[in-house]
Amino acid sequence: MSDSFPRRTWLARFLGGGIAATLAALFYPVARFLRPRAATSSGALEVVAPYRMNELKQAEKTGVWPPPFNFGGKPCLLILVDGEPRAFNAVCTHLQCTVEYRAASQDIFCNCHNGVYDLNGRNVAGPPPRPLEVYQAVKKGGGKPGEEEIIVSRKA
Amino acid sequence: MSPAKPENPIPDELKAQGWKEAVKAFFFERLGLDSAAALAAHKRVPIHSRELFYFLGGMALFLFGIQVVTGILLSLYYKPSPDQAFESVRSIVTEVDFGWLFRSIHSWSANLLIGVLFLHILTTYIMRAYRGPREFTWWTGVALLGVFMTFGFSGYLLPWNQLAYFATSVGTAIAENVPVIGKYLLLMARGGENVTGDTLARFYALHVVILPLTALALVGVHLYLVQKHEISVPQDMIKKYGSAKKAPSMPFVPHFLFRDMVGWYLALGILAALAALSPTDLGQKADPFGSAPPNIKPEWYFLFMFQALKDLPAYLPSENHKWIEGETLGILFFGFVGLIVAMVPLLDRGAASGRPRRVLNFFAAVFVAFIIFMTARSLMMKPPQNPPAQAPPAAAANPEGTS
Amino acid sequence: MKTTLFLLTFALLSGWAGLAGSAAFNPEPTATARSADDKKLAAPAETKPAESKPAEKPTEKPAEITPPASKPPASKPAETKPVAAKMPAVIEIKPIPDADNSCIICHTTPDSWDPKDPSQYKFYIPADSIKNDLHWRKGLRCQDCHGGDPTMLDPKAHQAKDDFHTVNRDGRLSPADVPDFCGRCHSNIEYMRHFNPSPRTDQLAEYWTSGHGKHLKKGDVNVATCISCHDQPHGDAIDRKPHGIRPVNEPASPVYHTKVAETCKKCHSDKELMKGRMYNGKPLLCDEYDNWKKSVHGKALLEKGDLSAPTCNNCHGNHGAAPPQMDSVANACGACHGKIAALFSQTKMRHKFEAVGLPGCAACHGNHEIRQPSDDFLGMKQGAFCIRCHEPGKEKYGATLAGAQAAEAIHAGLAQLKNGILHADETLAEAERKGMEVSEPKFNLQKASDALTNARTQVHSFKVDVVKKALGDGESVVKEVQGKADHALEEYQYRRYWLAVSLVPILIVIGLLVLYIRVLPIPEKPADASDES
Repeated sequence: MSDSFPRRTWLARFLGGGIAATLAALFYPVARFLRPRAATSSGALEVVAPYRMNELKQAEKTGVWPPPFNFGGKPCLLILVDGEPRAFNAVCTHLQCTVEYRAASQDIFCNCHNGVYDLNGRNVAGPPPRPLEVYQAVKKGGGKPGEEEIIVSRKA
Repeated sequence: MSPAKPENPIPDELKAQGWKEAVKAFFFERLGLDSAAALAAHKRVPIHSRELFYFLGGMALFLFGIQVVTGILLSLYYKPSPDQAFESVRSIVTEVDFGWLFRSIHSWSANLLIGVLFLHILTTYIMRAYRGPREFTWWTGVALLGVFMTFGFSGYLLPWNQLAYFATSVGTAIAENVPVIGKYLLLMARGGENVTGDTLARFYALHVVILPLTALALVGVHLYLVQKHEISVPQDMIKKYGSAKKAPSMPFVPHFLFRDMVGWYLALGILAALAALSPTDLGQKADPFGSAPPNIKPEWYFLFMFQALKDLPAYLPSENHKWIEGETLGILFFGFVGLIVAMVPLLDRGAASGRPRRVLNFFAAVFVAFIIFMTARSLMMKPPQNPPAQAPPAAAANPEGTS
Repeated sequence: MKTTLFLLTFALLSGWAGLAGSAAFNPEPTATARSADDKKLAAPAETKPAESKPAEKPTEKPAEITPPASKPPASKPAETKPVAAKMPAVIEIKPIPDADNSCIICHTTPDSWDPKDPSQYKFYIPADSIKNDLHWRKGLRCQDCHGGDPTMLDPKAHQAKDDFHTVNRDGRLSPADVPDFCGRCHSNIEYMRHFNPSPRTDQLAEYWTSGHGKHLKKGDVNVATCISCHDQPHGDAIDRKPHGIRPVNEPASPVYHTKVAETCKKCHSDKELMKGRMYNGKPLLCDEYDNWKKSVHGKALLEKGDLSAPTCNNCHGNHGAAPPQMDSVANACGACHGKIAALFSQTKMRHKFEAVGLPGCAACHGNHEIRQPSDDFLGMKQGAFCIRCHEPGKEKYGATLAGAQAAEAIHAGLAQLKNGILHADETLAEAERKGMEVSEPKFNLQKASDALTNARTQVHSFKVDVVKKALGDGESVVKEVQGKADHALEEYQYRRYWLAVSLVPILIVIGLLVLYIRVLPIPEKPADASDES
């Protein structure tokens, strides 16, 4: 193969290049993999609520409360009671409709079959057989006063 | 780049050749790589019709490397606790960039690796490459096969889904049928009476620490021995050419290595295709209190044993004469077979002289046929079913939960 | 005098006998009770020393309670003996150990009664039946309700005395007597207060307003009275368990919430019994129980155990059981379905229904067989409800074409949202199966379902724009979720595409390798290779 020498060199160069390229290409997914992922809500035991204290206080004034947010795949109701945040699993224990807060009567109400819970989550009237699950809601320290973030958490 | 020490100045010839050679010299002198380089240059692989068999070892090593790398990546996100294992795997597959790719590669590569190992041991047997002085190579190899099957068994539990949980329950239950120490083995394997978080912790430690270290040690010895005793030349070639030295061969570096690389790239392509086209299922989270999914089975490399144990009647020779439990007999049988496999270099006394090993060959053929037949039979049984996926949310189709 | 002495002696002797044998009937040891017994027995039999110590007695005697008489004092014995015509407010209780109680001795001994003779056998009260009776548990005994003298052993002595007239007409209460008999105590607040601080005492008054009560007053005795529902079946069956009135909140009571319908059904599904009875000019069909059982409410209560589901009494009342009047059907349903009832009450439809005599909610949803509602109830297709009155060309009751159009529009809107949700859900499920992360859109889709539920509620306003507004919230959610789901599937396809792309360099490198291998010559083995086979 007298001709093979220059052919070999070019071939070798291409080959080397190809191998190097594929190796580099392998590094790309690995590098992306190693990057920390965004915090997710699924299966979470603790989450920062999407509403801050000032938004809740505003809701108290206007009477328009924000809708339940996603906490571990379930809707979570976040309200203010005596100025402190309180969070509940917003799924009615009767037939799983989403409950709502009634500021006027200071209770939590389920539209579907007139179920009523008090602000401790206890089922006080109507069909619901069990209280609502109450989550822990604490203000995150260190924020601007009045605009603190709220951390909602639950036990496993 | 001339970090010259007074005792070992870089020879001028090297300096003349350029900086690349200078770097090479630096490492070679300090790390004593000359002998390794000499070995590599010296190592040759016979050229013959069954050359393909010789690629299997390297392929296994490559796939093992893939497992180590992907395994390390997965271990950065996996959480080995019953309430987090499934969710962490789900997170890897859905939330981490390319997590789905590495998880599926890890899962498929495990299967390919064990398949390659089966072929490797079979072809080594066929080529009689275990004959003296290579007995320890064979023994470390058999041990490695056991190690890798344990890798597979322990890794299978880690995603903590229904199939994994119950397959592990069934598999560890078989251990109880070992005579005398069966119960103890079961407790050791499960970390308790049942499969629990303790089992998961135990299997994780096995899979991530104990077995890798064992494998590394064994592979190290295995590879050392392969280098030391050189690649075995087939006996028919020795006969044909007079001696092993005279048989045609090619250098390992770079000729055989390039051929190896073709295989490696093919494997890479196949793994990527499998990962994208047939990604490993998440399954459903394990529910220890629920009932097992129907038709639960272990991974394919255990199927022949599993099916055999299933086929054996509960008591032998019959219900009325309960001399021995069927499963115990099955385990003893496979233990015995494993012992035979390990003892092959010693049993095949005619290896050195090239005498045909009729008896061994017969049993080997029967055993291989048995494995193939039993595996096929087991695969043709109905596959394990996951219960149907969760119902849609209290949605339009089912206004049950709403007024 | 002689009679008195005889009675006194007898009483003393039976008292001592009772000390030994009282364990058979008294669940709790009543040491103090016995001493109190003795005290009472020491007094003349005809006076009522028990009544003079009202306050102490209840605490001293857990097994036998002595309620006081709010009545005039002992000087008028004749008046304190209940008489059918007078039905005084309360009767006194004469404590006597159960082992000596002649009523119990005769009536609970099975051997005294011949099972083959129903006219006799009906007087046998099995002990295990009456022990569960709430009255028994509170310490009341036969004589406390039925009157009479439990010290007398002679059976013939039953008939002679006046005090049995409240009980016996041929030895059995007529159904007509039962409400007043029970009401004698149960309408007396002061008496009931001894057993319950806040007693209900309106049951009798309610009863007389009920369908059953009204028929009873007219002389129809084939109606339910107190014991028909509250007690186990009577009749002459061998296994009957009469006199076993349990508290309503005990699952074994025939009027426990899950059992009410079965109890009502005993009469109301009996075609023989209901023959000739009419409601609103139509004969009774005796299908109420079967219909209710198939309904959403029946299934919820009986199959799912949802104790909040309504049974007969929740809509018809307990003691004042009567069908809700036409205008109050919505009120009955609105007790639980408040929002819907409120919406409905403000519509023209409601007034129209009242005017023509249609029964509110039941006009569309039925009364007993209330099934899971479907969107197809609306609209103008056959099988829908609106078409019954709004059918163009065949309008009834002055129904309008505009109404028909509104029905169509509402139906179409609901169908669109429902299909949108289903489709989005399918796409999400497919994406999830393929391993894509879709938990956030899945959560958001629930909001669309909530909107659909709300829209279905708003349907009862019968206004298109109200329903469309409710639907609009759902539609925007569905659009967003569908977008995310489609994107997830696209991402999945994207992976396969890029895989195919990535195979190209791999194949190229393999090709190059193969070429290079072919081009690379294989050098011969060097001659000085070491000797190893």
